[in-house]
Amino acid sequence: MENTNKNTIWQSFSLRDWIWPLVVLIGSLVAWQIYADNMDRYEVAILFGVSLATIWLGWYWKSFQTHAYFVASISLVSIWFYQMNGNLYQANETVFFLKYLISSQAAIMWMSFLVLLGTVTYFFGLFRQSDFIYKVSTFITWTAATLGFVGIMVRWYESYLISSDYGHIPVSSLYEVFILFIVMTILMYLYYEQKFKTRAMGGFVMLVMSASVLFVLWYVFDRQSHEIQPLIPALQSWWMKIHVPANFVGYGGFSIAAMVGVAMLIRLRLEKHNPQSRLLSGLPTQRIMDDIMYRSIAIGFAFFTVATVLGAMWAAEAWGGYWSWDPKETWALIVWLNYAAWLHIRMTKGWHGAPMAWWAVIGLFITTFAFLGVNIFLSGLHSYGEL
Amino acid sequence: MSENKNMSKPNRKTPIWLEFLGSMNLAITLLVMLSIASVIGTVLQQNQVIQDYIIKFGPFWHEVYSQLDLYSVYGASWFMLVLLFLLVSTGVCVSRNTPVFIKDMKQFSEKLSLNALKHQPNHVSFTLDQTTENLQQHAIKTLKSHGFRYRTHQKEDGSITLAGLKGHWNRLGYFFSHISIIIICIGALMDGNLYLKFSEWTGNLAPETRNVSLNDVDPKAWLSADNYSYRGNVNITEGRDADVLFLPYGDGYLVQQLPFRIEVTDFRLDYYDNGMPKSYESDILLYADDLEEPLAKTIEVNHPLYYKDYAIYQSSYGDGGSKVNFNVHALASPNISNSVVESAINKNESLTTPVGQFRIEFTDFKLYNIVPRDKEEAELTGRKMQNNGPSVLFKVRNEQGKAWEYENFMIPNKQEDRWFFMSGVRTSVAEPFRYLFIPADANRSKDRFFKFLALLNNPQARETVLSNMVPKPENMEESTYQTQLRLFGQLINLFRQTGFDGIARFVETNVPQDQQEQVMAFYYDQLASSLQTLYLHILDEEGIIRDDADNINQEHQLWFEDALTAIASLHRYGPPLFFELTSFEQIQSTGLQITKSPGKDVVYFGSAMLIMGVFFMFYVRQRRVWIHLKSAGDKTEVTIAGKDNKKLPETEEEFQKFVTQLKS
Ligand code: HEM
Repeated sequence: MENTNKNTIWQSFSLRDWIWPLVVLIGSLVAWQIYADNMDRYEVAILFGVSLATIWLGWYWKSFQTHAYFVASISLVSIWFYQMNGNLYQANETVFFLKYLISSQAAIMWMSFLVLLGTVTYFFGLFRQSDFIYKVSTFITWTAATLGFVGIMVRWYESYLISSDYGHIPVSSLYEVFILFIVMTILMYLYYEQKFKTRAMGGFVMLVMSASVLFVLWYVFDRQSHEIQPLIPALQSWWMKIHVPANFVGYGGFSIAAMVGVAMLIRLRLEKHNPQSRLLSGLPTQRIMDDIMYRSIAIGFAFFTVATVLGAMWAAEAWGGYWSWDPKETWALIVWLNYAAWLHIRMTKGWHGAPMAWWAVIGLFITTFAFLGVNIFLSGLHSYGEL
Repeated sequence: MSENKNMSKPNRKTPIWLEFLGSMNLAITLLVMLSIASVIGTVLQQNQVIQDYIIKFGPFWHEVYSQLDLYSVYGASWFMLVLLFLLVSTGVCVSRNTPVFIKDMKQFSEKLSLNALKHQPNHVSFTLDQTTENLQQHAIKTLKSHGFRYRTHQKEDGSITLAGLKGHWNRLGYFFSHISIIIICIGALMDGNLYLKFSEWTGNLAPETRNVSLNDVDPKAWLSADNYSYRGNVNITEGRDADVLFLPYGDGYLVQQLPFRIEVTDFRLDYYDNGMPKSYESDILLYADDLEEPLAKTIEVNHPLYYKDYAIYQSSYGDGGSKVNFNVHALASPNISNSVVESAINKNESLTTPVGQFRIEFTDFKLYNIVPRDKEEAELTGRKMQNNGPSVLFKVRNEQGKAWEYENFMIPNKQEDRWFFMSGVRTSVAEPFRYLFIPADANRSKDRFFKFLALLNNPQARETVLSNMVPKPENMEESTYQTQLRLFGQLINLFRQTGFDGIARFVETNVPQDQQEQVMAFYYDQLASSLQTLYLHILDEEGIIRDDADNINQEHQLWFEDALTAIASLHRYGPPLFFELTSFEQIQSTGLQITKSPGKDVVYFGSAMLIMGVFFMFYVRQRRVWIHLKSAGDKTEVTIAGKDNKKLPETEEEFQKFVTQLKS
């Protein structure tokens, strides 16, 4: 990022910051060694591109290193359990550790539980103004993110166990992207929580996560959506690996912005109606919330732009045209234009406070429709995950 | 932010309309309008058949909508207008901000007065007991270490101002992201159908609405090979070739002449074990005048063939007129008779039979029918899916034009450990197929079934068999015996024409209430025994040895019951014809999409610029510091001021850090 920040990074370099890149690179090399022959050159490029990005991220945000170590080791343990049991997918029914803890489905179920729990504890912390409860909530949330991430990694491996030609990165079905969404958004939130040294918004942000979790649970128990399906031809492409995650950084940013907006609206209300409410002292100042809202929309917008461009390029390769006004595409455009307008108003008219907060909340509804509504109500080329 | 003030308060001379075009309000209005238009385009199904719309919205609203072009929003002229305005607005905006921003990027404003410095967002003043010279050196080092470029300015009062500036890329970000919008729009317009719309408007172009062969297509619907940009589809059968495309346009289509010829040598379709298509690919040859030998390539989804500024995509597949051969069994005929029909998918045959004239339309052929097994089946076999083998879809139409649609499977499939030939029938596409299950005999064929059926259809044969196998008991009157035989005959006929329920209905209409029950029982008993007798005769003919006079083993008993169920439902099977698929030769066709989009690279270039621009704008901060040094004896009065084009929480502390580093 900008210079001074770099300086601080280099200055604060410790031993672990030197180990970190080594671990990541070695990890990627090993992965490459093992899977080289089912990767085309783009996928190799993506692999190493991602590992470089990961190294940078770990330097820029130290806690991510710890998180990554946990994700990696738990996932490896899970994979090891599979291999101990003849590399059979069915092992997740028989082996205790897989069945109840770290098969992808189990891990994701744990994540779901922890997300719901974390939401409650965050609010509890807010009302009690209790640092201890806050710390617990943060811990719970980190664990949730870790298990969710493990779930994704292991599911990736499992898909190959079911049948080698089923194997694919789990970002293809609505169920899978929901998990991705939850994990990404939690991580982004945790970053802001650290950066702005406030846990007060945790409950609000986690509300969206809880809603998603509840949807996922319904989707699993009512529709068996967690069953791993093979990829339709259109989705068999390396583009998917970058297009989809980029999109979900976008969605994540927008959700956080909206929920911070909610927190801000509540704050403004309290200031008006009962200024001596204890909550006020608990919530961060409007300026901070304004800033978090702007930053998360900014990063959301930036990545959403990337995602949309990548999507267009993929479309050009899979459907024969970079833009077909397919509902999903169109709604992506709508979301994008909406936030472009938001950014402009803020930039050039200097709006802030309630109106921008309301706008961010509305923005989340638009985003949600682009994410979910389109799959439910509109049919198009984006054939994955119809409800 | 000052620069934005500059922007919204432009220099006097700009005329009001430029003011308006460049205004942020217009920009935002346009962004919102664009969004709303897009929403309409997605919730209102685009480019459907007019009738559907009329039914959906009623004539009035249909009229309104079609006047507003809401059925093809993205092609609508007003939509283009909005885009155009956005273009202009962005353009004007950029051109008007450019001077301001360039100045802002270049100038270090090192001449600012001490007073002005003290009005910057961040500023401190203090005195250090060091000489100005040392401090200046130190200050320069500090500036450099923080990545500032700087200018030095000496005032007449001897005071020195070091003005540092960094992050001017932020400004470039603005240019990139906004100019890119213009570039992208231009690229999009290059690939848009403005030209087609224009030539339609001038009357040189008219879409073909009829479904006719190429030669009969209205010449006004043809587009020459040098058309600038297009995207269309063509279906090519294996072993055939094509040099035209079909572009959906308005309520019809246009025919695009290609500058090359595509031949499809082979098409392959591959399935996952759950029946989902896994991949489909075509081997194609591309012939062009400037190629001495054709370009050979296998294309599949996500792996198109790029040739010059054309791209050839695998987009769909279908049946290309597979050859299908049938034995047509006459279900009502008194003796085993079948005629051969040799045809192909998408072809029609007319068939003259004793029961009338029929038109057969062969619509589709499927090589695999992979369907989920039921639970216990899956448990047993351990495989979720099963393949029911080849099937053919066809319609049978009688003289009155009434049609029955059939789905016939070639090979028998297993149900509860018995093998059946399935044939689905329906009279409208709306309803699901009702299946006829013809039980397969010992050697998995339908022979026994048709033999049995023919015997039931044949009064004389029936009579002789029955009288042989059920001879007259001594103590029975000849007349009674004859009545019994006649009853057998009538029951069987009734059964053949109307099934079991027909007999029930007969009894209900012709027998007084109180006797119906026992009569019914009696009839069923008679019918059963007579049918059984006939069946035994068939078995004898087949030379099946029976353990005793009229007991047969489980298997044959089951077959008998299945056969009766099938026969009982024949009267609901439509015309008394059964099409037995005897052999086939699958011929597939591949659906190619071919595009020529010169705007593509323009759009990509614009997109790259957009991304760079956005990241610069968000993540590069333009920052300034001023260090003002005024010597007072051996001490120096220092004033430090800082300004950041984004008010961020860290700005403050960063400024402090800078100051402390300078003090040290
Ligand atoms: C689809 C069209 C447009 C898009 C996607 C777009 C995008 C953006 C973005 C992402 C920003 C950065 C906001 C921030 O840094 O927080 C921005 C800033 C800005 N835009 Fe646009 N813009 C568009 C059209 C326009 C138009 C038509 C105008 C002219 C009225 C305009 C004027 C500005 C100005 C003055 C800024 C502030 C630049 C600065 O002070 O750093 N934009 N635009």
